[in-house]
Amino acid sequence: MRERAVQATEKQIGVQMTEMTMMDRMKPALLVLEDGTSFTGIACGADGESFGEICFNTSLVGYQEVISDPSYAGQIVTMTYPHIGNYGVNAADMQSDHLALRGLVVHDMCYEPSNFRSERSLPALLSERGVVAIEGIDTRKLTRHIRDCGMQRAAISTVDLDAASLLAKVKDSQGLAGINLASTVSCASAYHYDEDLHDFDFAKKPAPPHRYRVVAYDCGIKRGILRGLRDAGCDVTVVPWDTPAKEALSYDPDGIFFSNGPGDPEPVEATYGTVRELIGVKPIFGICLGNQMIALAAGSRIEKLKFGHHGGNQPVMNLRTGRVEITAQNHGFGLVFPSLGALVPELSGGIAEHADDLRFWSEKKIAPVVENARYGRIQLTHVNLNDGTAEGIALLDQPVFSVQYHPEASPGPTDSTYLFAAFTRLMDAWTPGDASYLDIDIAADRLAAWA
Amino acid sequence: MPRRDDIHKILLIGSGPIVIGQACEFDYSGTQACKVLAEDGFEVVLVNSNPATIMTDPAMAARTYVEPITPEFVEQIIAKEHPDAILPTLGGQTGLNCAVALAESGVLERYGVEMIGVNLASIQRGEDRKLFAEAMEEIGLSCAKSGFAYTIAEAEQLASGLGYPVVLRPSYTLGGAGGGIAFNQDELDAIVRQGLDLSPVSEVLVEESVIGWKEYEMEVMRDKAGNAIIICSIENFDAMGVHTGDSITVAPAQTLSDIEYQRMRVASLAILEKVGVETGGSNVQFAINPADGRMLVIEMNPRVSRSSALASKATGFPIAKAAAKLAVGYTLDEIVNDITRKTPACFEPTIDYTVVKIPRFAFEKFKGADATLTTRMKAVGEVMSIGSTFEEAFGKAVRSLEKGREGLGCDGHDKIDETRFNRFLSQPTEERIFYMAEALRRGYSVADVADLTKIDPWFVQRLADIVAVQESLRDRTLTDLSREEMLRAKRYGLSDRQIAWLTDVNGAQHDRSALETGEMSVRMCRKLLGVQPVFKVVDTCAAEFESETNYYYKTYEDENEVRPCDKPKAMILGAGPNRIGQGIEFDYCCVHASYALSELGYETIMVNCNPETVSTDYDTSDRLYFEPLTHEDVLDIVEVEKPDGVVVTLGGQTPLKLAHLLEADGVNIMGTKPEAIDLAEDRDRFSALLDEMGIAYPEAGTASSAAEAVEVAKHIGFPLLVRPSYVLGGRGMVIAYDTQYLEEYMAEAARITPDHPVYLDRFLESAVELDVDALCDGEQVYIGGILEHIEEAGIHSGDSACCTPPFTLSQNIISQIRDITTRLALRIGVRGLMNIQFAIKDQTVYIIEVNPRASRTVPFVSKASGVPLAKCAAALMAGYSIADLNLPPDDRELDHYSVKEAVMPFGRFPGSDTVLGPEMKSTGEVMGVANDFPAAYAKTALAIDYSLPTKGTAFISVCDRDKRSIVAIARDLSKLGFSILSTTGTYHALKAAGIPCERVNKMQEQRPNIGDDLANGHVDLMINTPFGQRTRSDGYQLRSAAVRYGVCYVTTLDAANAMVQAIEAVQQSADEKVTRLDTIALQDLAQWQPDLAGLAKERR
Repeated sequence: MRERAVQATEKQIGVQMTEMTMMDRMKPALLVLEDGTSFTGIACGADGESFGEICFNTSLVGYQEVISDPSYAGQIVTMTYPHIGNYGVNAADMQSDHLALRGLVVHDMCYEPSNFRSERSLPALLSERGVVAIEGIDTRKLTRHIRDCGMQRAAISTVDLDAASLLAKVKDSQGLAGINLASTVSCASAYHYDEDLHDFDFAKKPAPPHRYRVVAYDCGIKRGILRGLRDAGCDVTVVPWDTPAKEALSYDPDGIFFSNGPGDPEPVEATYGTVRELIGVKPIFGICLGNQMIALAAGSRIEKLKFGHHGGNQPVMNLRTGRVEITAQNHGFGLVFPSLGALVPELSGGIAEHADDLRFWSEKKIAPVVENARYGRIQLTHVNLNDGTAEGIALLDQPVFSVQYHPEASPGPTDSTYLFAAFTRLMDAWTPGDASYLDIDIAADRLAAWA
Repeated sequence: MPRRDDIHKILLIGSGPIVIGQACEFDYSGTQACKVLAEDGFEVVLVNSNPATIMTDPAMAARTYVEPITPEFVEQIIAKEHPDAILPTLGGQTGLNCAVALAESGVLERYGVEMIGVNLASIQRGEDRKLFAEAMEEIGLSCAKSGFAYTIAEAEQLASGLGYPVVLRPSYTLGGAGGGIAFNQDELDAIVRQGLDLSPVSEVLVEESVIGWKEYEMEVMRDKAGNAIIICSIENFDAMGVHTGDSITVAPAQTLSDIEYQRMRVASLAILEKVGVETGGSNVQFAINPADGRMLVIEMNPRVSRSSALASKATGFPIAKAAAKLAVGYTLDEIVNDITRKTPACFEPTIDYTVVKIPRFAFEKFKGADATLTTRMKAVGEVMSIGSTFEEAFGKAVRSLEKGREGLGCDGHDKIDETRFNRFLSQPTEERIFYMAEALRRGYSVADVADLTKIDPWFVQRLADIVAVQESLRDRTLTDLSREEMLRAKRYGLSDRQIAWLTDVNGAQHDRSALETGEMSVRMCRKLLGVQPVFKVVDTCAAEFESETNYYYKTYEDENEVRPCDKPKAMILGAGPNRIGQGIEFDYCCVHASYALSELGYETIMVNCNPETVSTDYDTSDRLYFEPLTHEDVLDIVEVEKPDGVVVTLGGQTPLKLAHLLEADGVNIMGTKPEAIDLAEDRDRFSALLDEMGIAYPEAGTASSAAEAVEVAKHIGFPLLVRPSYVLGGRGMVIAYDTQYLEEYMAEAARITPDHPVYLDRFLESAVELDVDALCDGEQVYIGGILEHIEEAGIHSGDSACCTPPFTLSQNIISQIRDITTRLALRIGVRGLMNIQFAIKDQTVYIIEVNPRASRTVPFVSKASGVPLAKCAAALMAGYSIADLNLPPDDRELDHYSVKEAVMPFGRFPGSDTVLGPEMKSTGEVMGVANDFPAAYAKTALAIDYSLPTKGTAFISVCDRDKRSIVAIARDLSKLGFSILSTTGTYHALKAAGIPCERVNKMQEQRPNIGDDLANGHVDLMINTPFGQRTRSDGYQLRSAAVRYGVCYVTTLDAANAMVQAIEAVQQSADEKVTRLDTIALQDLAQWQPDLAGLAKERR
């Protein structure tokens, strides 16, 4: 039996430890959803009150890339994996200099990270950048709620802990629909991308020499994309979202790139207007919002997904090769493939009727082609196997292709890095009717960029 | 690419007996494969020598061969069955090795059998370290610097080049067998000597040490089209230097940033592609330097592994099932995710909880063995737990181990060795986590502990938080705790018993029953505060999609996801982690009960925490709760499910221990009632019962001190069988021949079970032992089987070989046994299964022990007799009668003999004695079926050792007691062509009997002596019988040497007798092409399946 005195000291140590490890962060916070659902938790970021659309991300790693992704502008992100912040944060892994998201929801925040690259803790970064965050809530319950009831407006507050009062404010807050968020996260003026990548030397090969000049339209571009372009040999000039076509062409580019970006694509009219001017002039590649810009330029209908795709495990089939890629995704809107035009049966396995669920095509391993009023033949190149939504298109009569998901990953699996190579192949040579630049064996160069 | 139509019949190779490094995870994978291939219309032919598995149930495959997994036997089966394809990737290393041998010798080609799932070249690239290292270099990945040694001198040279310490890995051995870390040349010499011997190609890899680096595993799958996915990442809590099987591991990886994780991911996929794994699951291991992120590839297994089982249970993704489907032509996008039933299997599972695995060790069984954890696996089982956070899962995992701990310390069992505190902190052992907790409690910083243990600070910090929460409760008054404090304690994984102990409620710190009362006070108090657990679903997708599967874990959150159900519910409590004495046999029984109760119309609920098993597959029962088998955790499930009945008698001692507590909670215990269990388990009550019924039993007494024990011994007389009460697998059980030993034992026994006295029974020397498994419905008794032990009384029944039907018993004895069994079952009030151990001495039948529950022989007896006893037992528990089951007469004559033989793990524990005794030491078992006893026994010997000595030199050295009886055995051996070698005493006995024999010096005598002969490979068979318990003797050294040099040996006369007969059977089989060792499929023997669905319909 232990001595009483010893126990007393131990108890004191225990109390001290408890205080050190958690007491000082016991600041309450409240999360309220538009439909009245509320969660009480503990603040783990900046103090204050923040409004946005609530969504969830299922990535197991990569919280830093998630929170620094400008596509999350206007959104409150819930991480479904419970332990967040484990390996800290560092400057190199930031996807942009600013944190554009409106708030972060986690189950368990880590204040003492462990990793040789960690420069500081995640909560320290959030506090400094003014991001309101909440921990200690049933994030699975919240995720199921979002899944069943759809994305909706929400607020996190550390100042107003009255659910009714906060709910009233949520109801008054602005939603995402009809708002041009890209304009809020785009760069202010054009710049030449020239990043020192030595931070990645422990894992990645040095970038190859420049072989292509590319102008990248920044609607909230992730640094991962810039690195992906550079690793493919592109010298990139980044221009603001509303840069006129003429100005972009003044850089004498080999190709034009349209970036990812936040929110509703419809209001980003200046960008897809520019796409229209540039199609047929230069080879074009678009990612995420860039994909939607190209689709809108071609007159596609855009739909809002119930709870979007946010995570790093979405299976996508390249219909041209039949290969499945595990992809990183982050979008709440998507293009409606049948709205691009009527099927061309002779190029679509003899099928003339559109299927709403595009897994019809992945099961048959056919990449169907429609006749588009504006640009001629458009091929569906990629389909999401989870829900049969469109993930990629290629214009057959123009040197243009785009994907809805993120080949740069960051965070997420790197299966689709080949799309950057596809872009260079498109810039190298292209003949009308050909989309074979997309037919790349993803296993051939899995380790190409890695040290 | 859909299902292949050009193959119809597939041969599946299992993994054989449970051994350390290859356990029941291959029953899980093999069973999944059998099921899914049969569903797809393939005819499955199965070979597996392990009778305790679900996969060898005759219903699982079209043809089931419980035969040795040797190329000779499998070739026989191929010749008989003409399969189109062989699938070797689901039977562990054993299955793979056998398939390789068949491919290399041209057998597969000769019979036109295609190897599917993997090809020979990729097996070689994955398994051969040299080829593997070359392949890695070609794709630009680094392995640890290393070289191959074929002699000790070469190893020394390599080591001096690399610098000590070095890691030594013998090629082609199991679970790191024969490997180790050498810090100096002496250690190097010792390990390499053994390693060269154990490696079938006499090759040892000498490798740069990366001890202290972080260790990771990736579970990968690939299909024919080249689609490849990661199922799960696993991070080891213990740093490099501890075998993964012995490490605490966590899923998913916790301390890797995205770029590090993705690098490991693509490397895993590239390795799979480079090695050439065509389809199926593989496992790749990495080491990461925590200082700079340098990544090394450690190894890959081109097959389903122990980690695959863990990854399957951790994510809900059925790896083995998918691997089987991929092998027959499907691609990942064509397989539907079983859990969501909407999305394809071609995705990477994401999880929203944390999974912790902790290995289960059994060092207490192997006195003299080194308990330090190294690169050589020593764990005999493992537990897995799921919690929202690491802390919650960790607490659960510790209490799942059933090592008497209620969590991470604070349970009255913290025993700290003060003098060696820092050593126990830095040295990896199974106790280290408790030292880590204690160090943090004493004010060591997280950095200090991380530095001493090389465990990542992230994990240490988590333990520090758990300790902080514990300390905030110490000496508080339970009723003063706030809701927040209580909730926090539960979220940090504290059990109610820990809270009771910390707050000392009801004097919980004083004894066990007070702790149990205290637990209930905490429970009540907790509920009053509104702190109650909820259950969440494991769904592969972090709730992104709706799922149909009822696979649950408990956590302290808001929303409960348990779905209601209208059907009557039956809950089955599983057996927990595999350990010596309680293994896969009990999982077999639980799975059968689940199948049976489901057929009878129940919604079945399985509770278990063992990730290796079939019972914890999400599709075995209607509902699966992956939870510890403690009172608190089970009661939480009972409260949410409100089952109509709970089955406690099929999972071994683990659930049985809970019977009383659960009944007190108002739970309906199905089948035999706790009162009846108690009647059989309480020695005094049971003795009184036997007296009343006029049944003989060895004279017995109890003692709670050394003095009392000596008094009892005076009364009964030596030898005595001594054991603590309520134990499993004869733990702590010995035979005492004198007072001194008895006193020594008493000093130690107190440590094993302080709350219970010690039993002393008269030991019936030279008696024949029997096991009987029987069913009882309250009115009728059905004898499932009578098993005659080959070893005489005194060897634990789990370690003894046995045969059914009995091969030497008279009809008179058998009818006495049947009569006693029937009377006892009815008198005790058994409803379900019962096992009785008898001893026959001088034509008197004694009762040794009665277990009113399923025994470890149930699967063996079921397969030998064709009557599925566990299934029948479940029906009886559900209220049906034996008459309903339409079983064959239990006294029918079987026309074949079935032998079960135990498999020993001594090779894993150098230094521990290999002699058999009343304490069970075996990890697994094999079965042999033949038309006569010697042939069946020969099959078991072949199934364990893969070959039997059929010529050469036999070394015989027996104790004085056996000198007379050894003569006949030696004469037979001589006739069979063996030359005989003996030490002085035995030499004289044999010479006197006129048997040609050569004398050899004993171990302690001058050299050359028998030790040299063993080391030089001059001995092919060793018979050595010890006497008494003094094991530190010549005999001990002999047996250790036999283990070290792989010499076939027996330690009892009865086993020697059986062995000689078996050798004769093998000789005949080889020489005369007689058919004594022909392969037999279980389906060729009579089989019975009660029509339970029909019965249920009738009742409705």
